[in-house]
Amino acid sequence: MKKFSKLLCGVMTAALLCGCGSTSTDAGKEAPADNATEAVTVENETTETADAVSEDKALTYADITLGEDYTDLEVTISLLNNRTDLDNETYGGTTWREYLAAFNEEYPGIKVELTTDTNYAETAMTHLQSGDYETVLMIPAVDKADLSTYFMSYGDLATMETQINYATNKEYNGQVYGVPITATAQGVVYNKKVFADAGVTELPKTPEEFLAALKAIKDNDPSIIPLYTNYAAGWTMGAWDDYIGISATGDVTYTNQKLLHTENPFKDYGDDTHPYAIYKILYDAVAQGLTEEDYTTTDWEGCKGMINNGQIGCMVLGSWSYPQMEAAGENAENIGYMPFPVSVDGKQYALCGPDYCFGINANATDDEKAGALVFVKWMTEKSNYSYNEDGLPIAKSKTETKLVFDGVELLEEVPAVAGEEDLLNELNAESELNIRNAGDTKVQQIIEHASMQDMTFDEIMDDWNKRWSDAQDTLGVTVDAE
Amino acid sequence: MSDFKLKKWARSRRGQQFFVCFSFMVLPLLLLFVFTYLPFGQMVQFSFYKMKYLTPPDKRVFVGFQNYIDVFKRDDCFKALKLSLYYCVGALVQLVIALYFATILSFKVRGGNFFKGLMFFPYLISGIAIGFIFKFFYTRGFVLDTVLGFLGVNESNIPYWLKDQAVNNWSLVATSVWRYFGQNMVLFIGAIMSVDSDLYEAAALDGANRWEQFKHIIIPGIKTILTLNVILSITGSLSAFEPPYVITGGSNGTGTYFVIMNEIAHVSQKVGLASAMAVVLLMIIFGCTILQKLFFKYVFKDVDSQDEVSSKRRKNP
Repeated sequence: MKKFSKLLCGVMTAALLCGCGSTSTDAGKEAPADNATEAVTVENETTETADAVSEDKALTYADITLGEDYTDLEVTISLLNNRTDLDNETYGGTTWREYLAAFNEEYPGIKVELTTDTNYAETAMTHLQSGDYETVLMIPAVDKADLSTYFMSYGDLATMETQINYATNKEYNGQVYGVPITATAQGVVYNKKVFADAGVTELPKTPEEFLAALKAIKDNDPSIIPLYTNYAAGWTMGAWDDYIGISATGDVTYTNQKLLHTENPFKDYGDDTHPYAIYKILYDAVAQGLTEEDYTTTDWEGCKGMINNGQIGCMVLGSWSYPQMEAAGENAENIGYMPFPVSVDGKQYALCGPDYCFGINANATDDEKAGALVFVKWMTEKSNYSYNEDGLPIAKSKTETKLVFDGVELLEEVPAVAGEEDLLNELNAESELNIRNAGDTKVQQIIEHASMQDMTFDEIMDDWNKRWSDAQDTLGVTVDAE
Repeated sequence: MSDFKLKKWARSRRGQQFFVCFSFMVLPLLLLFVFTYLPFGQMVQFSFYKMKYLTPPDKRVFVGFQNYIDVFKRDDCFKALKLSLYYCVGALVQLVIALYFATILSFKVRGGNFFKGLMFFPYLISGIAIGFIFKFFYTRGFVLDTVLGFLGVNESNIPYWLKDQAVNNWSLVATSVWRYFGQNMVLFIGAIMSVDSDLYEAAALDGANRWEQFKHIIIPGIKTILTLNVILSITGSLSAFEPPYVITGGSNGTGTYFVIMNEIAHVSQKVGLASAMAVVLLMIIFGCTILQKLFFKYVFKDVDSQDEVSSKRRKNP
């Protein structure tokens, strides 16, 4: 009994100590909280002065003159970006470190803390959802209606259109929430030498010519993979969706407006155009054995070197991939970029469009917002990022680019009509086809069915048509019969 | 008056006991609530709504049980659950292998600890790394094909391990078995160690061979751990995720229930439907666990009664 009471005593003192411990941490918590409130008031003072400068009006993108405004601003901003390769010293082009160093030469006070993430699209969503996200980040798949909840406006559309291209991309209710980091065109990256060696001197312009070219490559040297699908990486498959609008129809309203109301958009139009023709190229190439032998073990990092040294004929990827393929080996001069082999009435079109857009945290302090605006404008106008990455210019003042598509019309897609901004997203979610929205699975299935020959191409397209029609029904979308 | 009573109670041993227990328990319970039950409650709530991740709460549409009906109506959800059968078979194979090695290694074996370490090692590697290892392991002309080539198998007879839908699920199951059997084995060894070694001696004197010793001494001796491992393996196989997600991305007919759920939640953003799928899976796992409990109760009933009889005999003479 004595022993037990001793033990109890011990436990009680322990409990008491525990109690003490927790109260002391409480006290500790209170102290920094006081500091924090102080810090906030200090910040308020500085923001007041900043406000006084801009005369109580929210600062916009157009207000900033690079090299003059905010050169002595002292602030730290955070940046979340998807380009992990630029965050690596071995990258062949300009690295993030070099961009940020150049930026700090002009703006030594604005410190940019960079984080890059390989799984960007999901990570960014998680950050946004948590409410605690970076000052500047590339806008992930946020519904347009919710843009203003998360991001500050760069200014109204009319003003922004005088500043940058693609201003409508992240526009909602007349306000622009995103400035693209670069813009790309959609075509096919290929190895010029492989094509030339196989006797393909003229670039294919139709699906038929394209498949013939692939076949010629295979016949010339069976060890070369004419078309590498990158099936296993997944997102490389979803990239096929980028061609069903402009490349397949030459119609700038197709993806965001027509597609939503088209009855059976995946049907065969009989003239090698429209989405049907795009996906059929993939199906036929796989069915005719013109792709890699075992698609399940394709290797995205490995494919860059393989196309560079001539083991791969071509890959269907946006022009953003062009510099990466060049940098992956010693034969940069062999890499070329051609428009997608579909012609509408004898003419080829290519989609050009913005890459990820910079968004600025709507809940940041005014100083952070100012710093972020300066950084975004500097990236757009002074960094040469777009040119370095073989993209199309973003700033209105710039024109130079390395992309040359002779005789191909570059078109930019127009956004959805008012009131239907989110309809494509809704239809995608409902039909689960996820067109232009990471719909990798459906394109992978084309390859599976083509390889196993358990479904014809028309059966696949019929299934998609049904899913699309059902989604249109569920959402009560008006359907225009053609 | 009552205030005084409360004070007195607080000072009494019972009161002190209560405070001690309370103060020790409040933190873990709080953590458990905040990180397990609260999110779970939210998920159940989500399962009744049609919503995306970033849909603000006031724009979510209440749809009642529609999501649950959809789970049962869609063919991909339950087709995915069928894949769990592959993993169930794998789990049983895994337990048998684990039990076999555990029994051997719990007797004196030369280099026993070395082998234990060797077989436990895969469990320590991260699942993602294992995924990448096996992706290359199964690639045409890489490790597995080369090894089979050494053994004289003609390359034309070797299937495409991940492409051929007749074998690809088995390929994935094999990685999971390779990874987890070591862990099961270590648990079994621990349990076998606790069996009184006098029993083996006594059994040997009675003329029992190794198999009889295994059947009548080891199995009954470790039945608690055995049951636990079976339950964990079966529930684990229902929720198989890492091998298909990392190695094939769930494509080519390898998408298990979890992978499909992940796709619906994160790509199609049908959060409500995915939540409903999760709740349905939870119910299935509940059901399986209860069935297994009943099954083991029935199977080991004889063993139990024998134990009682023998212990009675020991007491009696």
